[in-house]
Parts: sequence; structure tokens; C-alpha cells
Amino acid sequence: MPTLPTARLAPLAAFAALALAAPPPAAAQSGDTLVVARDMDVNSLDPARAFCDTCQIFLTATYEKLVDLAPDNRTIVPMLAESWEVNADQTEFTFTLNGDAAFADGSPVEASDVKWSLERLANLKGNPSFLMDGVASIEAPDAGTVVIRTGSPNSELLGILAAPYASVVNREVAEANGAVGGEGADAEDQAETWFLSNSAGSGPYVLDAYAPDDEMRLVRNDAYWGEGAPIATVVMRQVKDSVTQAQMLESGAADVAMQVDADTAANLADDDEVVVESIPSFNFVYVAIGAGAGGLPVEMTRDVREAIALAIDYEGAIDFIVAGEGRPQAAPIPNGFPGTAGLEPTERDVERSRELLAAAGHADGFTLEAVYPSVNVYGVDFNLMMQKIQQDLSDVGVELELQPVTFAVWRERIADPGIPMTAVYYAPDYYGSGQYVSFFGTQPGSPWHTRSHAGTSPDAENPALADMLQAALAAPAEEADALFAEIAREMMADRVILPILSPNLVLAYRETVEGVRYSACCNLPLAEISFE
Amino acid sequence: MIGYILRRLLAMPLLLLGVATAAFFLSQVTKADPLSAVVGERQMNNPEIVAAAKARWGLDRSVPERYVIYVVNLAQGDFGTSFRTRRPVAEDIAARLPATLELVLFAMLFGVTSGVALGVAAAHWRDSWIDHAARLFALIGSSMPVFWTGLILLYVLSVALGWLPGPGRMDARAAFEPGPTGFHTVDAVLAGDWRRLGMALSHLVLPAFVLGWAVTGIISRLVRGSMLDVLEQDYVRTARAKGAGERRVLFGHALRNAMIPTLTIIGHSFAYLITGAVLTETIFAWPGIGSYAVDSARTLDHPAIIGVTLVGAAAFLLSNLATDIAYAVFNPRIEYGGGRG
Repeated sequence: MPTLPTARLAPLAAFAALALAAPPPAAAQSGDTLVVARDMDVNSLDPARAFCDTCQIFLTATYEKLVDLAPDNRTIVPMLAESWEVNADQTEFTFTLNGDAAFADGSPVEASDVKWSLERLANLKGNPSFLMDGVASIEAPDAGTVVIRTGSPNSELLGILAAPYASVVNREVAEANGAVGGEGADAEDQAETWFLSNSAGSGPYVLDAYAPDDEMRLVRNDAYWGEGAPIATVVMRQVKDSVTQAQMLESGAADVAMQVDADTAANLADDDEVVVESIPSFNFVYVAIGAGAGGLPVEMTRDVREAIALAIDYEGAIDFIVAGEGRPQAAPIPNGFPGTAGLEPTERDVERSRELLAAAGHADGFTLEAVYPSVNVYGVDFNLMMQKIQQDLSDVGVELELQPVTFAVWRERIADPGIPMTAVYYAPDYYGSGQYVSFFGTQPGSPWHTRSHAGTSPDAENPALADMLQAALAAPAEEADALFAEIAREMMADRVILPILSPNLVLAYRETVEGVRYSACCNLPLAEISFE
Repeated sequence: MIGYILRRLLAMPLLLLGVATAAFFLSQVTKADPLSAVVGERQMNNPEIVAAAKARWGLDRSVPERYVIYVVNLAQGDFGTSFRTRRPVAEDIAARLPATLELVLFAMLFGVTSGVALGVAAAHWRDSWIDHAARLFALIGSSMPVFWTGLILLYVLSVALGWLPGPGRMDARAAFEPGPTGFHTVDAVLAGDWRRLGMALSHLVLPAFVLGWAVTGIISRLVRGSMLDVLEQDYVRTARAKGAGERRVLFGHALRNAMIPTLTIIGHSFAYLITGAVLTETIFAWPGIGSYAVDSARTLDHPAIIGVTLVGAAAFLLSNLATDIAYAVFNPRIEYGGGRG
């Protein structure tokens, strides 16, 4: 047998030499750069067009709004406005700007910037433009005063103005780069590309660089008018995979990860250098019934919908889908939002479910199409969730035909002919319950009135919700809670939207990191984070 | 030969136009609405928002009108604007292509050199432990799922042992000015920045190994089989009878002929990996063209999908041309042009 000449393995040796020539991996975190591993879902960095979880983080770091949401996730506190007054009708909101507030280029934040930014938010007709629905006028009587009037009472306007999408932009800088704020902005504005490489806000950070699907780099705004950010540079690194995010935390390549799933997080528990917090979120996943959808095998009456709701094992779903890291949610309004205190989540009652189905003439059950987007959101694998619900409903004779599809296909199907049963998710855009009534209520004109085809259903349409919402928005804060609770019960009774669970948010970070918290409006306030 | 290459290169724009046309019309016949990439789920029932989005992205025009506009823009190097990233597709591709090319080149360098070396060794020491070990290594490389291998190696070599860095092309905490080529290794050499070169190489080791291992498996098995055939040929026996050294027999006679079928696989592997390395890119957070293609497809980002399709088509056309040229180099009997090629 010929001998093995080692020289023939030169190519392998060369590659090994390359590896050995490389330096060791970077040391654990240094004091001037925070690395956040994240699957970034950025769809724009223009405050008036962006609409995503990562956008909330970015906008909160680089821009500011008139008001902010306090860490208790319910109190509105000053930001650019040092004070405000609201008339008794809740239709006129007068803000006095903080005279010290300044943009990153040093120019003062003036009322005209606020007026222009909020009008642009409405006029661009982008995803977050709905926040300005109902705003009748915005005036800037002097450089330090902004007056916003609404067409009807809206006690939640302050919560809306605390949303990152209501950020105030340096008008002069933005206009010089193609931004248009007035009527016709949707056709004339040319600034979106510029905003992908630049920021024009007054926040504690400024955008240094952004490479889609790669990384976003923020540097401290050294001219910040308030208390500056403790960390000089923040890098958000695109990491899609949950396990990879966890590994980066363990190795010190990342300092914070927010999308580690519950199972992977459990494996991090043994690592002394990583802190894992599982905290209640305001996100939830739900099943929706197309009460008037085309091709329903049975008439989807309120009793049938009730039977379906009672057949689902909500507690079991939390264990099965998110390994116990979640909470039940009663109504299509997240726990902790106005009107949800004291609501009793639906509990499984198979006997009652069977009785209702029998009374409706479906003692032998029926088969229902379940078409849903095949996604994994907030740690919830929709395929897993729907398999669990399929199993639960089979106990009462309702057989689900599961059809996972892409979001694009789902959109087409739900528009026409409608989907008998589907599943979607929701995260708050601002602190306030009105958004949920407007979106999930089955009053004519609402998105879910259209999607559930409630207009052609025998009893799913609920026009009273529109008036109830108006009453709640006109009421003083101390009365609004009770009115929203009444609305929540009404929506629960409609049984069109069935919240399955509210998944906990897994916040994982290196032990040397402090100040990591979850905000209902703003996701992750980067400027509050520091190193020990 | 040069005439043949020129003819192939001149035909390329026409072929790419055909690919673009097919991709454009295929994207139009899917039932799903591309507006889902532009208008979020919350606003999809808002007619005013939907109308504004259609007008902004040109989706309110007829399909023939959009096709003409697309082709005219394409002729000027404008691939359109991505619905998802909101940037020109050409810029997106230009930003990602160097990352993928750098990864694929290193993966191919490892895959081809190790594959050929293992194939030759396995054939030369047939049925020995070397042969068995080489075949086992090849089998594992071509059968193990890339995402599994990647995660395991990352855990062992990066997290547990700390020998190699984690995912990404560079350490997130290192801030380097972008270089002229987009290839971190090349830019580092051009700048004389050896720290940057070391960091780029260390980040390349794991993903290139994982991606290249599968190539190793295919090539080593192919080379081994071809070598075993060739080593039985009369001309090899003749060469040995004439006193040629073993090195000359193996590399001068046998491997040169055994490489011809292997060249096709190398060419196709290279072209395939340009757009097909998505799992490796996902696990190693590598901002390349493969993950861009998948994200674009997932969101029905038509301009980006067509752009990536064109890149893939160009990669296959160029790799086929390179393979044909390599055939001629390895086998002088093959001639192109003059009506014979």
C-alpha cells in the first residue's frame, strides 16, 4: 500500500492555517457599545411611514414626542411638551413646549415642527396615518404652543401622541431632503430613502448607519438637551434565529436579545452571566371566526361561536404553545389596558359546548376550514397553536381543516370569500383601549366587521359598539375604565375574536447590563440601558 | 476560443432579458397581492391607504404598462425599488452580493481543495482506513443538515470553547469604514489593516466550513469514482510502465482526466450557492443574497425577486461559461469556435 504523503493534504492545511491566523473572538461587552441581537422587521425609518416593533425601538431612541409613557405603562408624562391642558369636552389639547428642547443639529424644537410632523403623519397616508384619524386641526399660535383639536371627544389622544410614530421631526432638515408635510404629501414626498440613512430628531441617539438585513448603528446624540444616554453606541444586529440569538448572548457577542423563545430561554437559565426575564407583554394571539364568510358548513350563530370558544383549552394552550410563559386574556383588549381589570378569561367547558352545538342542531359536529398565516410571532408558532385548537375542537365534534398560508395569500382569502376560522396576532400601537374597539369590534366599518363578514352573519354585527366607544372616549379617565369594561364584555359576548393567550416577553441580557425594560408604547427604550 | 467566449457574453443580455420577462409575468399571475409588502395588516381594509400605496408603487397601472416601464428602467441598470427595504434593488444586491461571494468563494475553496484531496487520497489508498475515513467525512458533509451542523459548531467552537467568533461578518462592536469592494478580506488587504483581515477571516471559518463541507462530500465522491476509473486505463498503466513517478501519474495523468466531470459539479455548486446559501446565512447572521431572496419571496417583493432571479441567472450563465473554458484547459482535445464548438 502506498504511504500517505502529508504534502498532498496541503489545501486542508492551508485552510487550517487561515483559521489559526485569525484572532480570537472579541472579548465580552465593552463599556461603549451595546449589541442587541434582533430579527429586525424594519419597513421604513421615516417616522411617518415606519410601522413595526423595531421601528418603535429606533424611533424612541432617535426622536421624541410631545408626551411619553411612564415606566408604569399607563401614566402620560412630559417629553417635548412640559405641560398641557385639555378642555372639558376632551376635544382641545393645548401643549406648552419645553424651551430647552433642541434637535440633534442644535436648532430648537418649535411648534411649527410639531404641527408639520403630525400633519405629515396624516397626509402621507402610510401605515401609521390612522393615528391622526379624528384630528380636526393642529395650530401653532407661537413657537412654544401647539393646539390640537379633534372632531369628537378623544380622551386617548395623549396616549396616541406618546406613540413613537407621532415623533417630531426637524422640519427644516427633512424638507431640505425631500420631505413634504402638507396635502398631497403621499404623492410628493421623496424623503423615505434619505430617512434610511439619516435621522432628524431630538432623541438621545442619532442614526449612524443602517444596512437592511444586516445591522443598524446608533451613536449618542452629544448635543442632547436632556440627560444623555449612558452608552455611546448601540448596534442592532440582524439575527433571525432564536437559538443563534441565545448563543450570541452566551458568548458575549450580544448584550441583549428580545426574541429568544421560551424553550431556548429555559436553556439559558444555567448561565450565570445571562439574565432571563419572562414578563407579561401587551401582545396577544387570537382566533377569529368568519361569522358571515362564504362557504360556511353551518350557520355560524352566536351559540355556535360560543360553543367553539368554550371548547378551547386556554390553560393547556399556554403550556403547549409557549411552555407556560404566557397568560390567558379575556377580551380582545390586552391585560392591563383600560377596561380589562376584573374580566374573567373564558374557561374550557366541553359539556356546555356540546349542549350548545346540540341545541343548534350540530350534535354530530361539522368540519371547518382554518386558514391562517404560517408565522412564528412573539414566540408563538401558529402551526403549533392551530394544531392544539384542532385537537380541542375535535372533542366536541368540530373538525378543523388546517391550511397554513403566506400572509399575502391570507389577505386575499379573507377579503373574498372570507375564512371560516383564522388566527392572527396584535401588539399595541399606543396605550389606550380605543384602538382595540375600532379594530376588533364588529360595528360597521371596522376592519374585523369586514374580515368576519359580519354584515352577512345572522348576529355577529354589533352597531352599538360605535356609540359605546364614543361614550368611553368622551368620558373622564375615572369613568372611562368602566365604560371600556362594558365594551370588553360586549366584544367577548360577540365571540368573533377569541383571544388564545398573551405570550410573555422574554428579555434576555448579559448580567452586566442594566435598565432593560419593556414599554407598551415603545418596546425597548435604549437610552435607559447602561452597563454596570 | 476567444470568439466563442465573446459570442457567449454577447448573448447573455438577451438571455437575461428573457429571464426577466418570464420572472415579471410569473410574478403577475400569482394570486397573492404584492401590496401586503407595503400596506400592513392593520390598514389593509382602509381604501384610502391602499389607494395611496398602489399609486406610490405603480401598482395602479396595467401589467403591460408596468412591464414596459420595468424593461426600460432595467436597460438603464434600474431594477426598481424594493417594497420591503424601500431602497433601490440594485443597491440592495450590490450590498449583499460581496458578502455572499466572499462566503461562497471561501466555501468553494475549502470544498474543492478538500474534496479533491480526499477523493484522490481515497482512490489512491483504496479500501484502506484513509479511504474509509474520507468517505465517512464526505458522507457526513453531504447528509447533515446545514442548520444543525452550523448550530452545533457555533455552540462548541464559539460559545463553549471561545475559539471562534459568533455569527456575523465582523464583530458588532468593531466599526470599520466600508471598503471599495465590499469583500472584507480584500478591503482589509487594500487598507493594510491586518486586524480587520484577521477578524474577517475568523468570521469566515465556520460558515465557509459548514457550507463547503457539503461540497466536499459531493466532490470527493465524484473524484474518487473518476480516479478509480482513470487509474484502470491503459494510458495510466503505460505511464507507470514508462517509469513515470507516482505523483506525475496521479496528478499529471489521472487527476487531469478525472477532473473533467468534476468541473461541471464545481460550476453548478458555485452558481447554486450564490442564491442558495440561505440556511447558512440565517444561522450565521450573514447578510447575503440568499436570505434576501427568501425574505423577498416571503413578502412578495416583486422587484427584489426579479432582481435576485437575474443575479442567479447571471451566476449560472457565467459559471457555465467558466466550466466550458475549464474543460478546454483540462482537455486540450476540446476546442470551441470555428464551427466545431
